[in-house]
Amino acid sequence: MKLNVKHLPSKIYIAIVMVIIYLPIILLVLLSFNASANVTFPITGWTLDWYIAEPKPYEYGSYISVLYDQSFWKALTNSVYVSVAAGLLTCLIVTMTALTLRRRVPGRDVLFYMILLGFIVPGITLGLGNVLSHRLLGLHLSFWTPVMLDVIFAVPFGLVLMMARFEPKLMEYESAASSLKASPLNVFRHITLPLIIWEVISAGIFGFLLAWSEVIRTSFVIHGTGVVSTFILTELQINPVTTKWYAAGTILTAVSVVGLVIFAWILSRETARK
Amino acid sequence: MAKYTNYLMLLPGLILCVFFLIIPTAIILRISFADSVSTAEFEIHGLTIENYVKYFTAPQTLNILVNTFGTALLACLICFIVAYPFAYFLTFHVENEKLKAYVISLLMVPFLIDWNIRTIAWIPILGDQGIVNSALMSLGVIKNPLNLLFSRTGLHIIWLQTYILFMEFPIYLALARIDPELIQAARVLKAPPHRVFYDIIFKLSLPGVICGWIFVFVCTLGDFLTPGLWAGGLQTLGLSISTYFGKNVWPYACALSTIMIVIALVALYILLKIVDIKKLIYES
Repeated sequence: MKLNVKHLPSKIYIAIVMVIIYLPIILLVLLSFNASANVTFPITGWTLDWYIAEPKPYEYGSYISVLYDQSFWKALTNSVYVSVAAGLLTCLIVTMTALTLRRRVPGRDVLFYMILLGFIVPGITLGLGNVLSHRLLGLHLSFWTPVMLDVIFAVPFGLVLMMARFEPKLMEYESAASSLKASPLNVFRHITLPLIIWEVISAGIFGFLLAWSEVIRTSFVIHGTGVVSTFILTELQINPVTTKWYAAGTILTAVSVVGLVIFAWILSRETARK
Repeated sequence: MAKYTNYLMLLPGLILCVFFLIIPTAIILRISFADSVSTAEFEIHGLTIENYVKYFTAPQTLNILVNTFGTALLACLICFIVAYPFAYFLTFHVENEKLKAYVISLLMVPFLIDWNIRTIAWIPILGDQGIVNSALMSLGVIKNPLNLLFSRTGLHIIWLQTYILFMEFPIYLALARIDPELIQAARVLKAPPHRVFYDIIFKLSLPGVICGWIFVFVCTLGDFLTPGLWAGGLQTLGLSISTYFGKNVWPYACALSTIMIVIALVALYILLKIVDIKKLIYES
């Protein structure tokens, strides 16, 4: 790509803001390969020990490598399950709701405002409220509780994102197909779904990513080892911050970045199409 | 028939909202008016406004509310100052559409990485032996390291990093919608640049700006972990809720939560008054 020097100061400003936002993340990745347990510069030597070294008998908590920290892996596995479930549910609910809200369904505004509330109501009150409602209704906190709280948070984003990006002629195509006597299921399979499939996928990815990093809501409703965000939160209250956590963070960040690059690719692909 | 299918399609979203959003909020509201809640059987006793009276007459309340609003509004202002030029330059000075989409998406990364990781990643930069302190000390500007990490400065830096996308998106969308011919027309009619900016660009982007302020405000309002860790002793509404929740003082925690929900609802109301979100997404 040829660098366009027109408006160079503006582009430098954008670059500086991006660097400030990304510097900590880049340093995190860099320092996770540091031999020293101290999470500051200088780097005393490059090593993969914080990722894969076999633990010595006296090592524990913040000093054993990520690979041998079984509770970390358990939490990470939980996180994967919770995030995948949240992503799929977000995908499903957003698609069903978005496709219907386009039509003049009586009461659609009420539902739309309710969905928006999921983003507006502060996370702490949502977490607290769900703990109380579970206690009051005699339900136990389960795997699905954090999933549902993540979905509540992700659906408003997904809905606005999807509805703002619908193909403008989608409804015309659909009604053309149904006046040609295509069954509703066939209209959906052959007309609607192929036209919105990328929006559906991006909503799912967004749900996954939000659940992957969410901690404020989740920290209230977790039981057992919990998901990885709440696990690290409790670990760091009793253990020091060492390079091991930077290694763990690098793994977590890698997942988020891969997800977002796919997301960005879909968005830019759509922009190019229009 | 089609009518029933429509309602059937909306059912999952409705169930989700009712069970995990409306019922919990209603229970918070009910308990906020309760005398006591027995911890064992979880029975709610009494009906009183005592909790609210107690909160609003407590000597530290004013201080906490000022702190809460002050830090949240300052966070909005900082995000706005950084994000507005960013959105402006991105809209009018970057031509490559794909690049724009990537820059905008990449702003999401800090928000979508784990809270703990995002937090500890600042240690090598703002810590006592971090880059900033080392640089300032070797230049001889300061003798002892500044306490940047666990301070309000640190809080606002990390909030900027996390929530800038909520300011950036709406402003960018509003700017991208401005008809370039309007700007062209103003220039042809010899409007001075500052008037072109203020009277056309800024005024037309105002809904996006307000959207951004409300998003960042709501996000920072509900974030109790970051100020709890970073702002060393800064007491906010969110922190009070989590403290009373931790001590099992349910009615009081619920009263504070209700106050917070009311503030958020007012913010939502303002948002809907100013920006017609429905117009953005409904086709008919």
